[in-house]
Amino acid sequence: MIELKDIEKIYLRGSERVYALRGISFSVMPGDFISITGPSGSGKTTLLHLIGCLDKPTKGTIKIDGVEVGNMKESDLLMIRRQKIGFVFQQFYLIPRLSVLENVMLPLIFAGKKKGLDKITSIIETVGLKDRIYHNPNQLSGGEMQRVAVARALINDPDILLADEPTGNLDTENSEKIFELLMSLNSKGLTVIMVTHNSELAGRAKSIIRLKDGGIQ
Amino acid sequence: MPYLKLAFKNILRHKTRSLLAFLGIATSVALIFSIISFNKGFERGISRELDATGLHFMVVSSGCPHEVASLVLHAAVVPKFLDVEVIDKLKDFNGIDLISPILITQLPNPNKGRIDIIYGMDMQHIPKLKPSWQINGNLPSNDYEVIVGFEIADHDKLKIGDIIKYPDYPKNFRVSGIIQKTGGQDDAYIFMPLNAIQEILNKPQGVTAIGVKISRPEELSRITEEISMKVPGIQIVTMGQVLNSLANLAASAKTLSLSIAMVAIIVSAVGVMNLILMAIFERTQEIGMMRAVGASRYDIFKIIMNETIIITVSGGIAGIIFAVVASGIIENFVKLFIPYVPSGRMLLFEPLIAVFCLLFALSIGILSGSYPAWKASTISPIEAIRG
Repeated sequence: MIELKDIEKIYLRGSERVYALRGISFSVMPGDFISITGPSGSGKTTLLHLIGCLDKPTKGTIKIDGVEVGNMKESDLLMIRRQKIGFVFQQFYLIPRLSVLENVMLPLIFAGKKKGLDKITSIIETVGLKDRIYHNPNQLSGGEMQRVAVARALINDPDILLADEPTGNLDTENSEKIFELLMSLNSKGLTVIMVTHNSELAGRAKSIIRLKDGGIQ
Repeated sequence: MPYLKLAFKNILRHKTRSLLAFLGIATSVALIFSIISFNKGFERGISRELDATGLHFMVVSSGCPHEVASLVLHAAVVPKFLDVEVIDKLKDFNGIDLISPILITQLPNPNKGRIDIIYGMDMQHIPKLKPSWQINGNLPSNDYEVIVGFEIADHDKLKIGDIIKYPDYPKNFRVSGIIQKTGGQDDAYIFMPLNAIQEILNKPQGVTAIGVKISRPEELSRITEEISMKVPGIQIVTMGQVLNSLANLAASAKTLSLSIAMVAIIVSAVGVMNLILMAIFERTQEIGMMRAVGASRYDIFKIIMNETIIITVSGGIAGIIFAVVASGIIENFVKLFIPYVPSGRMLLFEPLIAVFCLLFALSIGILSGSYPAWKASTISPIEAIRG
């Protein structure tokens, strides 16, 4: 379970204080599928980074499974990221010279975990890329690359999948496929939080958080 | 997939740039390996040639020890002659095994279009002074017979019984023996009985040096001190001093070459650092992603450091291989800058020097990689992902 209470995030731009988020409070239950939507600059990505333990709030508390993470030190946040969170980005960020298999394995290496090839393959199969396992990213379509990114996010068996505009670089057909993949993962119990501009997809999530000027509408 | 493999694949993303950095390191390491190996080979070569003289020290007229070094090893003509009475005086000292007067000269040999180096000595002393020689034929039995070094015989297709003539001298010399290859300067000399060469030079009693072999080498300093005190007008040069004189001649060339190599290394290291910094700049978002999916700062540091070390160590290995493969060319090039070079190969593969050069390349990798790796490890994942 994720609980955010009175979250405020302020950036300093020179001497000016810029409120990226203010007064954000909500909870995410295990197995939820939440979409965060809103115009550019409304604080969607900042909120996702706070939930994903990549950043710390200026004020307020964030609890993941009852543990306050807002004031944790860097090494503890890293452990939470490794154990509980999977990230999917708009730009995929696959490493060009690594195969699908090697890209997916990357978080395992960082976590110092070992997993059999059959388990890794089965995750790649889950995203529908079993026959592309030894292909390099330049041999894949945009939709396929994003599916690799999803497989990479799943490799450490996270409880929460955070997706930042996962369909932002894809055409309608591939956007639909990725969204269905996220829905399918959610139906198996994975908590999904997705930032999106696409109101149609956002509307199909279990719940929507609409942001404007750093606050919930 | 270990970190090394990841680093290796990252290097391949910028093949041309990586190759240039790799070549820079390879060239610098090849240079350092060659200089150190050459210097070691040089010292070994001089030592071998001094051993081949079979002498413990030489007595010469007062002058510069460098002249003696040239005399012994390079067959230079020293325009100074020793007083022959010195030989009789030396006989009075205890512990001397052999006193062998030497007269070296160079004679024009227009038939062959060259100048022959003539080494005049008492032929009866050869078994004691040159015990390692294998001679085809016999030692000269009279003053008009000579034995010739391997290279001379090979070049002139000389056989035992052949005649050597010098235009300014009415008598002929018969080849009584040919020395099998020694690998040293002896291969290029013609060894002639002392009386004959004295006659040619019209110096009936002339010797340029007296080689001395002692019974017990541990008494070397006692004997040389005694001789120096009791015999005026001479100078004693031990083979160790000759070795030092020649090594000093090479040392200045070595220092200069090493300085140039160090500049090359610094330039290469800066090149590697630049390559890695550029790669990090281009991969900022990727590094941010890695941090987001679980890489620690140390993981990023390791990946970048591995990339640098792969380039420098593989460059080091390639440099050593290149230096060994091209040793003949490098050796001839380096010889141009050194006044005296002993015969035989100078540049040989020395495992210890190779290990030193590899460790050196590794240190360059660590030094040039530390800053970029640290910089990469401090990239904020949020800033990086935002782009």
